[in-house]
Amino acid sequence: MTEPLVFMMGKFEARFPTDRQYAKNHMWALAALGGLRFGFSAYAVRLLQDVYFLDWSVEAGAALAERQEIGSIESSKAESALFAPMAGRLARFNEALLADPSTINVDLYGRGWLFDMEGLGGELLSPEEYLIHLEAAWKVAERTIKGQFNE
Amino acid sequence: MARITVVISQGQSANPDKRGLEEGLVGALLMESGVEVTVIPHLYDLGPGSTGMLCLEGITGDMIVASWLFPRAAHWTLDRGGIKGHMGQTLLATEADDEDDFDEDESDEAEAEAGDDKQHVGGRNLPNRTIYHLRLAAHNSPEPFVAEIKRIMSEATVQTVDLMSWIGGSPKPEQLERYLNPRKMNGQVVGAVANAKPPASPSDGDGKPAEPIRVAETPARRWYPVIDYSRCTNCMECIDFCLFGVYGVDGAETILVEQPDNCRKGCPACSRVCPENAIIFPQHKAPAIAGSALENAGGLKIDLSQLFGAPSAIEIAAQERDVELVAVGRDAVGLSVGIPKRQADKPQEPKDDLDKLMDQLDDLDL
Repeated sequence: MTEPLVFMMGKFEARFPTDRQYAKNHMWALAALGGLRFGFSAYAVRLLQDVYFLDWSVEAGAALAERQEIGSIESSKAESALFAPMAGRLARFNEALLADPSTINVDLYGRGWLFDMEGLGGELLSPEEYLIHLEAAWKVAERTIKGQFNE
Repeated sequence: MARITVVISQGQSANPDKRGLEEGLVGALLMESGVEVTVIPHLYDLGPGSTGMLCLEGITGDMIVASWLFPRAAHWTLDRGGIKGHMGQTLLATEADDEDDFDEDESDEAEAEAGDDKQHVGGRNLPNRTIYHLRLAAHNSPEPFVAEIKRIMSEATVQTVDLMSWIGGSPKPEQLERYLNPRKMNGQVVGAVANAKPPASPSDGDGKPAEPIRVAETPARRWYPVIDYSRCTNCMECIDFCLFGVYGVDGAETILVEQPDNCRKGCPACSRVCPENAIIFPQHKAPAIAGSALENAGGLKIDLSQLFGAPSAIEIAAQERDVELVAVGRDAVGLSVGIPKRQADKPQEPKDDLDKLMDQLDDLDL
């Protein structure tokens, strides 16, 4: 694997391994066990900071539409609903995370994986394409965050 | 002491706590000299030509409006009704009592206007008077409101101009003393600061009413958008988006809410489409749409749903609009009509045949 790609979020160096694909909703996707394994990219984790609580609103085995709401997350800085990165079947969740969601912060590309899905991969991006997506997304994110904090 | 009119805009609800607060405030203010109290129905429901609106039109000086709306919402609703003035600064802690921010509206507006280089329409034809807004939901008892009203009144009488800079030459000490501390001389008041009238009590017959002016009508409930012109840049996205004819342009080619009662009750779709968040629906349950100044009212955490895949504001707006179209028997249009072109960041490509066709259609000026 070549060196991870780097994207600057302000002064923070967010890193993106090149051995996997990425979704527009800031999840990474790695081929595994007959499907795709998803987790949060460094971009998402940087915005969330310490993850406190993860909750899923669908069952393992459920058929999902792309961008269907599947759960919610709460962290020190943010809260958000979570959405399916592609259409497919939700094979399994990372159960260990429910007990200790901070693993997402500790090992976001490894043990902090979120769930496995079976599906065609939809519109996943290569690491380079994802970085281009981040350029545009970062401007919007900056405005959103600044607006929400009246800075 | 200056005279000021306090307008209490009653809530729609018959909730005894709300009515109690309103009446408590009326009672407390009647004891204060220099205060004229007027009670009107929910100002958002007042139509043009209604008794309540005529009453407001009759108030020419500064006024303090206490309502159940967010200050921004109240201010621009009145502006649309022809009740105009400069927005006054209040120090009443509103939604974020646990944080150290005072009234965010004015300082934010000032910063926003100073900070960005957009052309905002701004308040137009503003008479030289100030309207202060108090949000009745901010406190449970009249006392904080009375205190703030008294603070506003005393602020209005203080000369905030630096007097010393007006003095040319070198005045003698006794001249300066006379200038700064006016005293009566031969029964006349001298000096730069006029003496105020001694406080009047309700019964001393100087014309101050012992009862408030009460406008006793029950207007029908209305639902319509209110444009905050301090944010509006006249981009016309709203008039393109709304398919019910609510928006129009005035003689100065400026956007305005032309047919408010065409608006579909409960629909907030156009407010999501406005790039400046300049459209307010004062009765909507989401504080951001109802005119709250704080973007993240009620929570200290940012909402990242938009980043993580939630439908965008435009998509939600299109869905809401479709619901209303179908309800009146028209066809749903999805994203195909009147959707803002937000592709400014894409590189300019040479025009293709479709672009040329669109240009020709635009030129026809149908």
